[in-house]
Amino acid sequence: MSDSNIVLSALHNDHKIGNFGNYHDIESKDLLKIKELKNLSIFQIAKFKSSNVKTETIKIDNLDFPQSYPNVSFNNETRILWTGPDICLVVSSDKNIKSKIVNSVNEEDFATTDISHSRAGIEICGKHAIDILKKGSPLNLNGSEFKKNNCANSSYNGISFTVDFVDDVNPTFRLFCLRSFGGSFYHSITDAALEYGYAGE
Amino acid sequence: MLEIKCPHCGKRSQNEFAYGGDATIKRPKLGEEVSTKDWDDFVYFRDNPRGKHQEFWHHVSGCRQWFKALRDTATHEIFNTAKLEEDL
Repeated sequence: MSDSNIVLSALHNDHKIGNFGNYHDIESKDLLKIKELKNLSIFQIAKFKSSNVKTETIKIDNLDFPQSYPNVSFNNETRILWTGPDICLVVSSDKNIKSKIVNSVNEEDFATTDISHSRAGIEICGKHAIDILKKGSPLNLNGSEFKKNNCANSSYNGISFTVDFVDDVNPTFRLFCLRSFGGSFYHSITDAALEYGYAGE
Repeated sequence: MLEIKCPHCGKRSQNEFAYGGDATIKRPKLGEEVSTKDWDDFVYFRDNPRGKHQEFWHHVSGCRQWFKALRDTATHEIFNTAKLEEDL
């Protein structure tokens, strides 16, 4: 059966469910969790160089346009990541986020691009999540430098990616990279996680 | 590991950056008669100084912004970085 509406996620052929690596002596609640982020709307919003609009005045879904590294504006459904001066990445599970963005930013001043299907997303969760990132990324992830609700662009084993620090109680990071690098990125992350054992969810 | 201070993101690893060439080169003005030698100088010829050098760098794996850096080509010490519109 073919259906043009069926959309395969970026890691459809890579992400495996189950326990892997050195998980045998670890209780399931303590096991590192790795899952694919699917069905998220991702929009890049960039102010045109010629525009005189102040991004401080922009509100998207009542959230501020992040003004500087490494800020994230967020609510329960939407996170707005600073990715550059006057550039942000809106990541949302809200199905109406597109209309909210269109209502908030003027197309004469901002380029808004739907990149939902051009990114692969991975969420890693557990006390060793930060160790996995440290294995492949030169980013300074120590607590004094990179905190909850911070984000950064960096590289992981040479692959450019965006990291969003979602929670520090049960350390949770959302990672995004270009879709075409998704498979390599996923395997880099899971290879690094084998040492600690992980559950693919 | 060499660290470079991006004017937008702060200190980051050299791995995230790409070198962008001499920042002192000026493009011949548009609409003016330009001699072949001036074009050659602009396109091909670069000084190769030992010591302080103004350079363009690109934070290619970070904020993807170009900026200027004052670097010692012998010791790799980076003295200062600045946004494109700022002076070093």
